[in-house]
Amino acid sequence: MEKGKEMTGQESLELISRMINSARKDYYETGVSSLLWGSIITICSMVTFANYYLRWPGLEYVWFLTLAAVVPQIVISIREKKNRGFRTHDEDLMSGIWISFGISMFILSWVMAYMNVQMQPPIYMVVYGIPTFTVGYGRRFRPMVIGGIACWVLALCAVYASFPYVMLYMAAAAQLAWFIPGLILRKRYLKAKAQ
Amino acid sequence: MFKDLNPILHSQLRLAVVSILISVKEAEFTYLREKTESTAGNLSVQINKLKEAGYIDVEKTFKDNYPQTVCKITPQGVQAFEEYVKDLQAYLNIKK
Repeated sequence: MEKGKEMTGQESLELISRMINSARKDYYETGVSSLLWGSIITICSMVTFANYYLRWPGLEYVWFLTLAAVVPQIVISIREKKNRGFRTHDEDLMSGIWISFGISMFILSWVMAYMNVQMQPPIYMVVYGIPTFTVGYGRRFRPMVIGGIACWVLALCAVYASFPYVMLYMAAAAQLAWFIPGLILRKRYLKAKAQ
Repeated sequence: MFKDLNPILHSQLRLAVVSILISVKEAEFTYLREKTESTAGNLSVQINKLKEAGYIDVEKTFKDNYPQTVCKITPQGVQAFEEYVKDLQAYLNIKK
């Protein structure tokens, strides 16, 4: 940027617009977290579904993968924050939504196990829909809004499904809420980065 | 008649910095340098002028043993930017 160059009014407006757009392009999320959780939940659901027929010992513990995935998630979050060089206005709010979701899921899993609740997947799917819809609505990102609504619709449908077919609904919810929006976010991010 | 444009903001680099800081909550010095394609020395001088005018807050910390400068727009800076844009629009309308 040239030093001390006199600007016309039009040039000033163009500069403001260029800088705001340039910063906006950097808002794009990398999509890695969405892809991670979309994949993990899909894998766990499909393994649980397949294991109903396979009966392989140990595979019932596949859901512990969700606990293990917290570690790469923390690493991803720290790395992304470090490399970005700026903080957005809604960053703390978004982090708060996902952290509270994670804590709620952990407590809910424990409570439902303790209370021996049968048919847990529809309850999980209702909870999946809350942060997904909220973030999508807040950021005006339609794929996540659709994903959130899909979670709720699938939760209603899953009530009438029996085990293990309910796990297919769970996998579909993970794909629609996180994996597909994650792919779209990733594509946008890579496109913006290449420009 | 249009008001004179704010001389603090009516400078290419300072306006670029404020425009970026309006869009984000806070930004690191390196990010601002990359976005404005300016030199560290020139950017540092302009940031100081904005700071002296009370338009931005500058926080100097350490990150991984390296000094880090984080800039954030102040409410006074937001107000000045909004007035500048209004004056600019009025100025352009008169010129038309």
